[in-house]
Amino acid sequence: MKALQQDLKRLEATDTQVLGVSVDSAFANKAFADQIGVTFPLLSDWGGEVTREYGIYLSKYKAARRVNFLIGKDGKILEEQVDNAAIDPTKIVDTCERPKLKN
Amino acid sequence: MQRKLPRVLQAALLAGAMTVAIAAPARAQTKQPESASMPKVGDMAPDFKLNYFDGTNSKEVSLSQYRGKKNVVLGFFIFAFTGG
Repeated sequence: MKALQQDLKRLEATDTQVLGVSVDSAFANKAFADQIGVTFPLLSDWGGEVTREYGIYLSKYKAARRVNFLIGKDGKILEEQVDNAAIDPTKIVDTCERPKLKN
Repeated sequence: MQRKLPRVLQAALLAGAMTVAIAAPARAQTKQPESASMPKVGDMAPDFKLNYFDGTNSKEVSLSQYRGKKNVVLGFFIFAFTGG
């Protein structure tokens, strides 16, 4: 989430809303956001329903895998980064900055 | 007539049982969301409504509210307070 925060201005400049999601409570996520300086919303998927719908729920940990989805204005998925690849969101930022996505 | 009625009932019960037998696995499938596979690039992202706490209020966010307006980066993280 820190990495996304670092790229937040570039992402927002391309008409992109950043949202974090975890199975933590909304209150824990707010405290976490404050602690690491994240200013975008960290959503609470308490119970993991949405995480399951996205097919990334790990029953072993009762939590999500680390995954970034880039979703276009048409609601379709444009880019995915899974597990360790999701730590650095550069690929997603680059996709957002491609000219065809700018309008 | 007296003999037929139980048969009709039997048939109805059998039909009912079969319906349950057929419907049960189908319901079991939809009740196992863990079997849902991760959507692929080009797929529609499943819509959702989730809340976050802004420090004062709980606010609701849906994916569909950005449709036609903004791209969305949806970053799933494992747990709060565990690294970045």
